[in-house]
Amino acid sequence: MKWTTTGRRLVATAIIAPLLAAPALGASFLDVGKQAPINVLINASPWYDGFQAVVALYEKQTGNKVNLEVTPFPGMLEKARNAVRAGGTSPLDLLNIDSQNVVEFYAGGFLEPLKEIDPSFALPKEVLTLDDAGCWDAKKQFRTCSTGKLMGYAPNGNIELFYYRKDVYDKLHLKVPKTFDDVLANCKVLQKPPKSYGYVVRGQKGDSIFYDMNAFMLAYGAKYVKDAENGDFTVEINSPQALAALKKYIQIQKACGPANAGSLGQGDLIQLVQTGKGLQAQAVIAAFPNFDNPRKSAVVDKMNAAVLPAATPGGKPGVAIGSWVFAIPKNASEAGKKGAIAFSKWFLTYKAQYAYAEAGGIPVRTDVFSSDLKNKEKYRWMTAYLDEIKYGKQILGFKEGPAINQMLGLRYNQALVGELSPAAALNKGAQDMYDLFKKDGRKTGMLPPLPE
Amino acid sequence: MALAQAPASEAPRPGLSDFIDRHLGWFTLGPAIVLLVLLTIYPIVNLVLMAGSTINFQQGHEIWKFSLWSNLATLLHDGIFGVALRNTAIYAAISVAVEMVLGLGLAILVSSMRRGKGILRTLLIVPILLPPVAIGSMWKLMYSFDFGVLNQIVTGVGLQPVNWLGSTSLALMSVIIVDVWHWTPFVFLILFAAVEGLPSEVIEAARIDGAGTWSIVFKIIIPLLKPAIVVAALFRMILAFKVFDEIFLLTSGGPGNATEVVSLHLYQVFFEQNQLGYGAMMSVAIIAATVVFIWIGHRVSSAMGRL
Repeated sequence: MKWTTTGRRLVATAIIAPLLAAPALGASFLDVGKQAPINVLINASPWYDGFQAVVALYEKQTGNKVNLEVTPFPGMLEKARNAVRAGGTSPLDLLNIDSQNVVEFYAGGFLEPLKEIDPSFALPKEVLTLDDAGCWDAKKQFRTCSTGKLMGYAPNGNIELFYYRKDVYDKLHLKVPKTFDDVLANCKVLQKPPKSYGYVVRGQKGDSIFYDMNAFMLAYGAKYVKDAENGDFTVEINSPQALAALKKYIQIQKACGPANAGSLGQGDLIQLVQTGKGLQAQAVIAAFPNFDNPRKSAVVDKMNAAVLPAATPGGKPGVAIGSWVFAIPKNASEAGKKGAIAFSKWFLTYKAQYAYAEAGGIPVRTDVFSSDLKNKEKYRWMTAYLDEIKYGKQILGFKEGPAINQMLGLRYNQALVGELSPAAALNKGAQDMYDLFKKDGRKTGMLPPLPE
Repeated sequence: MALAQAPASEAPRPGLSDFIDRHLGWFTLGPAIVLLVLLTIYPIVNLVLMAGSTINFQQGHEIWKFSLWSNLATLLHDGIFGVALRNTAIYAAISVAVEMVLGLGLAILVSSMRRGKGILRTLLIVPILLPPVAIGSMWKLMYSFDFGVLNQIVTGVGLQPVNWLGSTSLALMSVIIVDVWHWTPFVFLILFAAVEGLPSEVIEAARIDGAGTWSIVFKIIIPLLKPAIVVAALFRMILAFKVFDEIFLLTSGGPGNATEVVSLHLYQVFFEQNQLGYGAMMSVAIIAATVVFIWIGHRVSSAMGRL
């Protein structure tokens, strides 16, 4: 028999290809087998580079293909909604959804419980559950792992930390603040507008101010509703604790922030820190790599991170978790669901999470935070993160969450810019929430209004 | 005298071509009607149905519940919608008025130039060629309190920096300035074409009769331009009433409610808060408000024409 050139090439390829692939497959962090290609909806956030790198590693190790549907933050929700609502098979197999918006998907029955795809799927014990971000109790209509099903997991445990300029602290012999009053004391020394600002925290209407205010609200012991988990939606946002928190926030903004605090968004805040104007700041951990980026920042290696201040000495910090949740649509193809589960298992391994952190991601495993990484200069925020995450709380784990975010995001901002007094802002916010719960048929009520 | 009848075989038979002739109107209009029904009437009917409902999702399915009165009551008690409507009307009235004056002035000025007219016209229309996102980003940088070029100029002459987008008293004016910068070229373009089309002999005759420049502008050019002015104002009013991108990018409706406009409020309710029924009700109200606003504008312009 005579071999043709093509035939020789085919045989050679068939022998050599597995040999070439073998080292890569053998080195895989977890053997997940051959899977169908999956499409993943992912946001173009500061930690995206880390995720992209770890996906490339997954593809290299396993030979499985992952298509990333990279989308700016404002477009994420609609893409996810369209994937699950449009009917037919979802074009996306793994959705990354903001932990506040994911409740809408849980409540609407759009997501598949992970154990129903793969009964062996479980989160490794080292993986942070981030106050039950990925669980849903359909009966209670509440996010809880104790009685609910595992619907997803966080690829990013974003929380806010306190940042400060260590060179300036050393020079002026300042101490890391433990309370908001300590922040004010430091700020008296640091505030020299427009050259420098003593404390920068977001004040822009909407999610910006709502999310950042949680550091104050939670620290002062304020609550949004009485007991959402057990169906009591009595509104408690106009409590004396909430009033004290809002007043302290406004006091700090007036004394330590820029004149445009009421329109200060994430980009503005990062700019102020990067340019060396913001000497103390409160921002999400995902912003930290921006401070150390030599192409963008004038404060490379000068910022340090600490736990957020508390309301009183010895008190607990108010830590609102702003995570994402990776979840699988019910209407994804069977092959897509299996592929998504396989990727998830691999992604949550220690080694993958370690690689993810090295590439700029925010890992979700405690053992990665306590690994040798924390001793490296680049990851100097990790100790503060691990100290703080234990206080983390998911905010508004019910379907009205996004609407309340908007309502209170407006009222807080109105108080900050002087359109309303703090008490009036909270009373109006409470009324807005009460009306919404009432319209939705919830068991609700209100505290007596605060004196205006 | 009896007329000879044509043999039966030669008489025109009612056939396909006859049918087409008799129904030609339907055949020519048909595709347009189908498109109109599919792309305009059906969505509007659906919007109206949504406006009278609450839409929830359970087990992956839409659940519609009749809630016309509840949605209407919510609209009537929605204080932010009232503020947004007022801001939108102020925004549209001021921006369109300024754009009309500037656009008309520029059109007459550029038209009267003997050299460089083409280059100037091209340069003047650049803002309408830019994508809104680029405009929003550019002006946001320019308005930046700490780093913006405007405040560098202001502080350069010894004044305090201005809080362009963060002050409740200034923010709406700041976004109106961006709108004027963005859309004056559009008015200019329409009116410039109209000015160029004016009969030169009328203007020459007025000049020979001793009319001065201002008399020619106010008594000849502007009255002759009235149809073009009305068209430009109408287009701009509709677009200004629907403003979204500039405000979304520059202020997100803040600070407080200073720049909240109806489109932005609708976006928040419909997309961010996922209140589909109430969002649809608000859409219907906005359509009605736009029609009323345009009708008032038309009446005002007609009344001014009669003066």
